[in-house]
Amino acid sequence: MAEDLVLDTAIRDWVLIPLSVVMVLIGILRYFVSKLMNSPPSPDSKIVKEGQVVIRARNLKQAANFIPAKAFRTRRVYFCNEENGLLHVPKGQAQNAQAQMFSDPNMAMDMMKKNLSMIIPQGCFTKIPFPLTQRFRGMLQNGIDLSTVDVSYVSSRSWYFLNLFGLRGLFSLILGEENAMDDTQKMMQMGGFGMDPSRSLGAEKDNLDILQHNWALNKFEQRAEAVLRKLVE
Amino acid sequence: MVCKAEQTELNRLESQVDNGGGGAWEYLNLIRKLKVRRSDDVVKYGSPILNDPKKRSALGDDEWTLYEQVAVAAMDCQRLDIAKDCVKALQKKFPESRRVGRLQALLLEAKGLWEEADKAYSNLLEDNPLDQVIHKRRVAIAKAQGDNLKAIESLNKYLEIFMADHDAWRELAENYVSLQMYKQAAFCYEELLLSQPTVPLHHLAYGDVLYTLGGLENLQTAKKYYASTIDLTKGTNTRALYGICLCASAINQLSKGRNKDDKDELHSLAATVLENEYKRTAPKKLALLSASLKSFKLA
Repeated sequence: MAEDLVLDTAIRDWVLIPLSVVMVLIGILRYFVSKLMNSPPSPDSKIVKEGQVVIRARNLKQAANFIPAKAFRTRRVYFCNEENGLLHVPKGQAQNAQAQMFSDPNMAMDMMKKNLSMIIPQGCFTKIPFPLTQRFRGMLQNGIDLSTVDVSYVSSRSWYFLNLFGLRGLFSLILGEENAMDDTQKMMQMGGFGMDPSRSLGAEKDNLDILQHNWALNKFEQRAEAVLRKLVE
Repeated sequence: MVCKAEQTELNRLESQVDNGGGGAWEYLNLIRKLKVRRSDDVVKYGSPILNDPKKRSALGDDEWTLYEQVAVAAMDCQRLDIAKDCVKALQKKFPESRRVGRLQALLLEAKGLWEEADKAYSNLLEDNPLDQVIHKRRVAIAKAQGDNLKAIESLNKYLEIFMADHDAWRELAENYVSLQMYKQAAFCYEELLLSQPTVPLHHLAYGDVLYTLGGLENLQTAKKYYASTIDLTKGTNTRALYGICLCASAINQLSKGRNKDDKDELHSLAATVLENEYKRTAPKKLALLSASLKSFKLA
């Protein structure tokens, strides 16, 4: 069952290469459009403050053993206090952030653009020069339901996805470091963004609540002694 | 803070430029990247580049960054004429820019016109309420006028929003120390320790403040922080060595007759290292050192 399928060269010329070229061009176009449309982010002071609180709380967690126990306890109360602690998020606020995210026009436009470029005709049109195992079938032949076709034959949809992830490197070369395939990053961001601030605050609060303070300075005194002893000798 | 490799590179470029070997542009770039404060050099080497139209056009778009850098450096050296020219050139090119607005307000500050500068900054803040640099400039104005309390107040307000800015915490700590509000200064140094636990300077400063606050518990804690400074600097920090001796003698004084199971070895080791250090670097002052160490041991 491993006969070679004869592939029309016309398919190669008119689908494979134009698809890659068009993807590169669309990527570049999207980059410039986003640069033009992008107003500098005007962050809400509340969001900035929350970001900074998270950083400070994280510092506290990581370096807690460097400050005296009393100082640590004071700070923990300051952060985790049930009524007015910095990390305590009342339930009502969590919903707000998500609604805000969906009404952001930029992301809506990007989602539309992505859907447009998803419409690609299906078909089998190229063959990878090296042999592959059966496992790659799901990855490379997305949409073709024949199990007898050799795995080396790649469907166009799979070719599109391969390009999607592969051209990331190419973009970072052409467009400089900032915009290597913004899309995938945005998709990953969008999932976590809405709940992010309130969830990270809650996470930090839990971390701090659990933390046991173990003052490291006692050890330091002995180490200093060792250092000085070595110097004296 | 600049790491060692960058420091050597900076010095190398500096000597190269000083001896007329060219490379002024790389030197200025490195200064800007490392945010080192070498305003004399910037003005000395930056102005000829800016005044020569050929060299200026060779820079392309970086020309404006150089204008900004030379403007700030000129203000630092009180060469307000140069600064005014640079700001004027930038204003012509970028008329509605927030960055140029900041420079203009900075120029007012340099001239000593505090009220106008403050008003200019407030105007800029209306459009950009979250600009950190502008907030910090207002604190600097308060400090320059000698109004430490106002500076502290503005810094506290700034830190309510931007609480992860460790430079601001450091500035606040120094302000508190200058006003002898040591408890608050200790809090600020704790913040610094949390954000940068491996920087020995913070351990040292915290130890200093605790020692100044006094009280047996604080003294013991201070001793521990001096010890950690010694550990982090491998025993080269003279101030920490002194700190240990002073803490030990103060603790002895306070707990006279009580439990003497304190490890005295640290104290005597520190004294020995100090003596060796002085023998090596300042032998004339060795007698002074020995006398003071003797008084510590007695006390």
